[in-house]
Amino acid sequence: MTDFLNYLILGLTRGSMYALIALGYTLVYGVLQLINFAHSEVFMSGAFGSYIIIHAVVGDGKSLPWFGVPLVFILGLGSGALTGAVIAWSLERVAYRPLRRRGAPKLAFLISAIGMSFFLSQLAGKLFNRFTNNQFPTYFQQNRRVLSIAGADVSVIQLTLIVTAVLMMLFLDRLVSGTKLGRSIRGVAEDAPTAALMGINIDKTISRTFIIGGALGGAAGFLFGTAFTFSNIMGFLPGVKAFAAAVLGGIGNIRGAMIGGLLLGVVENLVPTAPWNGHAWIGIGWTDVVAFVVLVLVLVVRPSGILGERLGRAA
Amino acid sequence: MKTGFFSSPHVKRLAGCMALAFVLALMIGNQEGSQDDYGLAFRQAIFSPRIILFIVIGLLVFAAMTFWPYITPYLLRPGVRPLAVGGITVLVSQTLLKWSDDGRTGNGKFNSVASKAANTDGLAPMAKLFFSNYLGWILLLVTFGLGAAAILISLRALAWVAAVLGVVGGIWAYTSQAAVRDFLGTPDHSTGGGVALIGYLTLAAAALATALATGDIADTRAFVNRLLAWRPGMPLVVLGLIVGVIAFVQATWFSPQGSNQTLTDTKTFFQGNGLANLAYQYLAWLGYVLFIATLLTAAAASYLRHRILGWVAAGLGAVALLLSLITMYDMTDLAAAAGVDGATGPWQNLGSGAWMACAAFFVLAGAGLVVATLGARDEQGELAPAEAPAARSSDTLSRGFSAPGSSKVFLFVILATALFYPPTATGFWQKVLVSEIGIYVLLAIGLNVVVGWAGLLDLGFIAFYAIGSYTTAYLTGALPFKPPSFLHLSPLLAIPFAIAICLLAGVALGAPTLRLRGDYLAIVTLGFGEIIRITANNNPGNITNGPKGAFGIPHPRIELGPIKFVWGQNNLQYWYLLLVLIVIVVLLFRRLEASRLGRAWAAIREDEVAAQATGINTTRVKLLAFAIGASTSGVAGVFFASQIGYINPENFVLNNSILVVAYVVFGGMGSLPGAMAGAAVLTWLPEFLKDQVPAEDRQMWIGAVVLLMMIFRPAGLIPAKRRAAELRGLNRSSSAEVGAVPEGEGMGVRA
Repeated sequence: MTDFLNYLILGLTRGSMYALIALGYTLVYGVLQLINFAHSEVFMSGAFGSYIIIHAVVGDGKSLPWFGVPLVFILGLGSGALTGAVIAWSLERVAYRPLRRRGAPKLAFLISAIGMSFFLSQLAGKLFNRFTNNQFPTYFQQNRRVLSIAGADVSVIQLTLIVTAVLMMLFLDRLVSGTKLGRSIRGVAEDAPTAALMGINIDKTISRTFIIGGALGGAAGFLFGTAFTFSNIMGFLPGVKAFAAAVLGGIGNIRGAMIGGLLLGVVENLVPTAPWNGHAWIGIGWTDVVAFVVLVLVLVVRPSGILGERLGRAA
Repeated sequence: MKTGFFSSPHVKRLAGCMALAFVLALMIGNQEGSQDDYGLAFRQAIFSPRIILFIVIGLLVFAAMTFWPYITPYLLRPGVRPLAVGGITVLVSQTLLKWSDDGRTGNGKFNSVASKAANTDGLAPMAKLFFSNYLGWILLLVTFGLGAAAILISLRALAWVAAVLGVVGGIWAYTSQAAVRDFLGTPDHSTGGGVALIGYLTLAAAALATALATGDIADTRAFVNRLLAWRPGMPLVVLGLIVGVIAFVQATWFSPQGSNQTLTDTKTFFQGNGLANLAYQYLAWLGYVLFIATLLTAAAASYLRHRILGWVAAGLGAVALLLSLITMYDMTDLAAAAGVDGATGPWQNLGSGAWMACAAFFVLAGAGLVVATLGARDEQGELAPAEAPAARSSDTLSRGFSAPGSSKVFLFVILATALFYPPTATGFWQKVLVSEIGIYVLLAIGLNVVVGWAGLLDLGFIAFYAIGSYTTAYLTGALPFKPPSFLHLSPLLAIPFAIAICLLAGVALGAPTLRLRGDYLAIVTLGFGEIIRITANNNPGNITNGPKGAFGIPHPRIELGPIKFVWGQNNLQYWYLLLVLIVIVVLLFRRLEASRLGRAWAAIREDEVAAQATGINTTRVKLLAFAIGASTSGVAGVFFASQIGYINPENFVLNNSILVVAYVVFGGMGSLPGAMAGAAVLTWLPEFLKDQVPAEDRQMWIGAVVLLMMIFRPAGLIPAKRRAAELRGLNRSSSAEVGAVPEGEGMGVRA
């Protein structure tokens, strides 16, 4: 039972990361019907951007007073989100808008995004470093236990991650369903030409969608980097998983991305470690296989994901 | 607020160009970041003198974009594109390429060689002149400038001068490099001189186009079409003349102990050494006679459009090619028997000249064939009508250059290069050619069926490659899990099994996922690829030997009665095997594309519902696409496993799958030549960049190249006809009379 809860918490932690990144995929898919393959690099850039700021503010973090911790955390979250937003915005300007202008085939967008993804991750490697295990300054004790549920420990960072992610998802949900910007995003997602006739500036809406998705992805980069390590190639695997999560929930569907992310995180941590005759049933080596098999099974039963497609309909 | 300073389009564009300049400045240079100081790279970029260069580049781009509508009318004149291509080619050869492999010339690039050569006594005076006082650069500038001026002010006399200068410059550059090589007296694989020759000849051709273009020809393409249609096969004759003259007069035929023996030197070398009579006569006089005879026959056949003469030229070329090969075999066999320079067998120590002679004969024979097979149609009229457009949607060569026989001309040039260039390349490039370029070309051909023709995005294609490789490893007994003894096969015999298993795997992947479309399919195939790799890595039941992989997969061998051929470590042998495989696959797929199945794929790609309504069994057709693509990949896997000898799961990572998709789209989705060209270019590029940028930055540059390609040419390198029509609109004729810039051609500027 303790093991089960431990893995559940771990799964929720990772799943909330996947969900935050998946939102970026799903938002862009909603308005453009395209997979933004470079979104994983937006995630990566968030980690580097927030590291530069935090490092400049707290140095090695040893002498930070306790009340500074939340401030620095919020600063990191903000700078990560800002970096992600800037990168995502320029990504749209460079890799998407010119192609949109000339009506390129869908796969051309995919390839330009892949080119951008290679470019950004290697440029980051060149500008910063290519180590695979950079760490943020330890300005608070991440692994201290805050609460314990039936013997399973929840550490500070796990709780922070889950809570922050859920708060940001709620914020996004409100943003998309309740504001003028959200209405225009849904309008473009539903039917771009008609939305244009109703006075919505499509280019601007698409730009802003990228900015929102990028901010979430960048913030996720900061959270991920704080909890684990960060590097110029950190985006690839979480990116693929988040993409899978977005598809699992129904790509283009915001709540679907949240559910898909959490579900994928929980399943890939619980299923391989489920006990069988006293040892793990499948084994941790098969984590990714389990994730993809679950994805395939869900898609075979429900070809358009758990909640179905359409940004406009579900939000 | 809307009319503020910052929302002015010019200000925005300038800001964009400056950002571009800044990013470029960041991209250049060595690894600068460190964990302690992340700002270092930025400071280096901003506060170093190089930023001025990049700001100038940014301003130039800004100017070009702003004045684009004024520039374009000039860009459409005949000769502009070849002028640009030629100028860039020479520029590249003089900045990036090596002009000498010898360590005594510094890094071997043009400037380094030039500064050494200018101060060396004993170098041929013409070569010394070329390298001294920046004459090479001045020559390029003058030729380019004259060509450009001729186009600008439409002055024919100037164009003729530029054309002559181009030819002179090319020959001068090539012979100068050859002089340096002779002076140093070591074998040399550097390509600088040859590429400069090609570039200068392109410049000359551009100038010629300007000089000869009449009022009714609006652009280069029309001019080239006119040229190709004038005398089919003539371009091949000219090419054969150039290559052959270099081969017989100047190039190295035999190079033991670092010597560079031309044809006459080789004759002297073998005189009285018991060389077989035929080979000796070839070296003494037969070679020259054969070359001149073939050249004249081919030229006469092309000029007169005489079919029988065409066949004669083709036959003469084939015989001459055979005799050249026999001579090469005889002399190297003799040299190996005498132990010259430690040769252990025939075909060693050959120089580039012998292979160039082969290429020349091949090209001339090709010219003869072009004439022989086209003659009948041409009798009906001056210009045969273009082939029916619907029949071959990927035959883009004949779209761009629609003259009769022009696609054959390109085919022969490409084949000649594929056959006779690799033996003259360095060992490093031979290895690249086999284990990177060749294999990925094969994979791209396979994926083109799935992605390009059937429109199914497959991000797990490398899985089938893995299945093919592991099947080979299993059947040759290299895995811990042994096959029954009657199944223990040599690698080439594993091909049908690998095809069968990959067909099954393709169907197994396709069947549950057929209801999915587009991006759902992409993620499921991606997952499939990862599942295969992780399974191989995790080694359930000790079948795949886990991360250690399979060792000791035997090399391929053929033993059919008296014919016995065993492949070893030499990459060239594998190259020719691979070439045979690629040619077979291409021939099959060309038939497939225009077949009922190919048209069904096109239909489901364009509109699945409509295709279903017209009676296409979409399930079956999609499954076939998966299966056929997968089996090609399986063949590549067999080749890979038996060539490299050991495989492990690391060879089959997700990144490779994504790269193959990028190759196909980069080259031109749905276009067979495009997919091959895309794979060849993008696998060649990182190896080329090795000499130009820090090794770990190569992926960054490739990403940038792919990005730029998609921005400026979204249909790919050689677009498929159907795709090009989609982008351009069906009603636009691709004729020469282009009045205005195509919509959206203006680098983001709306016309």
